[in-house]
Amino acid sequence: MELEHRKQDGVLVVKIMNNRLDAQGADDFRNRMSELISGGNRCISLNMSGVDFIDSSGLGAMVSVLKLMGQDGDIVISGPKESAMRMFKLTRMNKVFRIFDKEEDAVLALSTR
Amino acid sequence: MENKEVKIIINSDLKNVSLVGRAIHELCAGISRFRVEPYEIELCVVEAVNNAIEHAYGKEKGHEVEVRFSLGHDRLVVDICDTGKPMDVRLLEQADQSMPETHHDGIHAIAEQGRGLPIIKEIMDTVIYETKSGKNRLSMTKFFG
Repeated sequence: MELEHRKQDGVLVVKIMNNRLDAQGADDFRNRMSELISGGNRCISLNMSGVDFIDSSGLGAMVSVLKLMGQDGDIVISGPKESAMRMFKLTRMNKVFRIFDKEEDAVLALSTR
Repeated sequence: MENKEVKIIINSDLKNVSLVGRAIHELCAGISRFRVEPYEIELCVVEAVNNAIEHAYGKEKGHEVEVRFSLGHDRLVVDICDTGKPMDVRLLEQADQSMPETHHDGIHAIAEQGRGLPIIKEIMDTVIYETKSGKNRLSMTKFFG
């Protein structure tokens, strides 16, 4: 699982570079994100604009990451494609994650919290 | 008119699942009268193949998972077959009401697993599971129109 990340306005902006977040890559994604959270990043904007396909294992890994953030942290999603949005709505995860069309809006939401 | 059929057999390795998923997506994208998103059928097939690899075979590589894609005049049928440990059929029966809840009890109450079968039942019109002569078959049907 390839992730690119940078710091912007106190927010860690992470972009998923793979086009699939599925059972094959879910554990790796969870571990990579866990490392970033353990490194002290409490506000994360996850850019999913390059993800074409997400399955329930990938979604489960995202829930796991959300739990790792804890009460004092926050993670939001930006740029999901229609297929990913369909998955969020199907599983009602759109009620759990804050989702933004644009990365800059996601970063703004976290930097002003 | 006869059904058109495609059969794909993979080794029980998660790295092969995306190949099947992409193939199913392309097959669905080519059906002009098909109103369901190819992504949704791909998702159901991926979930079913993941279940076969992870639960029927316990993630052990070297076993066959067979995917049969059949296109009739009014329906699409995808069968996922394995020869591993049979699934408890009650899981499929309970999947109607078991899309894990979101966060009524806080984020730590949100399930990380268990959405595969509910997703399949939400998208497909009929889902049947049976075991005959040591072969497990999950049959998923989507009607056109």
